[in-house]
Amino acid sequence: MKIADFLNELKETLEIDDVGLNEETNLKELEEYDSLSVLSIIAMIDENFGKRISGQNFQSITTIGSLMELIGMENFE
Amino acid sequence: MNNQFLLDNKNIIITGASSGIGKQCAISCSQRGANVILVARNEERLKQTFLQIQPGSNLYYSLNITNYNALEKIIEESVDRLGKIDGFIHSAGIEMTLPLKMMKPEYYEKLFSTNVISGFEIAKILSKKKYSNNDASFVFIASIMGILGQSGKVGYCSSKGALIAGIKAMALELANKNIRVNCISPAIVETEMTKKLFENMAKQTKESIAKMHPLGFGKPEDVANACIYLLSDASRWITGTNMIVDGGYSAH
Repeated sequence: MKIADFLNELKETLEIDDVGLNEETNLKELEEYDSLSVLSIIAMIDENFGKRISGQNFQSITTIGSLMELIGMENFE
Repeated sequence: MNNQFLLDNKNIIITGASSGIGKQCAISCSQRGANVILVARNEERLKQTFLQIQPGSNLYYSLNITNYNALEKIIEESVDRLGKIDGFIHSAGIEMTLPLKMMKPEYYEKLFSTNVISGFEIAKILSKKKYSNNDASFVFIASIMGILGQSGKVGYCSSKGALIAGIKAMALELANKNIRVNCISPAIVETEMTKKLFENMAKQTKESIAKMHPLGFGKPEDVANACIYLLSDASRWITGTNMIVDGGYSAH
């Protein structure tokens, strides 16, 4: 998946309208971030990459870049 | 002990019997003298449960219970081999925690087909005279989530609520056959399913959920004991109810 498309998927999942996201963005500092949004992101990743990320693994996530590393950089172009 | 609380020689069919609450129900019922018919998808785990129950006239069937057309055949065969059925525990169930906006029609269908429809189909078949004894008792494992809400659980809560509502209608309909129908609604019981659930949670969330259980999390035995009561002759005047077994969760 193209990184720009992934960022758009994230924006849609978190329902972010006006903030620009990039790999440096700290997910947990976003206003829209809460425990339910984690479940939404996990479901979005499962749907797009066929990969189940546990909530525990998610705890180590900070930036969008670190989330992409968890998904596996080979999935991005 | 008063014999009314025993299950001597009762034939009891249990879905979801290979793990968690269903597995404990199988073990506990057989310890109380019942013959048990275990039904679950996973054959390996089912065999393991089968080895843990009291030796006797027990059967097991590895089957996906949402394959509705296959249900009557196993019931017919069980009745041929053990005699008519006296009790049914529907413990098969799947959990799903997903925000509403990520839910899809097929997810609701999956939850309802396992948690609700398969159990109601088995009850329908068992309600025929040729398959069950006059004073049979059906017990559906619902959940406290069928009464109380929780974020991310629209699908799960609604499926368990459907059980609680459905058994009332069923109880009225089957009363003339002296068949009793009840639900048990547990809060969080320590099983493989809830272990998985906690793996997907932050530690803080888990701790706050633990605090909501004044008597701590439940054990499968806590639910199995309630099942035994509802299956036994001791509860002969109880039908159409939802027995809450939740360590005080809903007392808040």
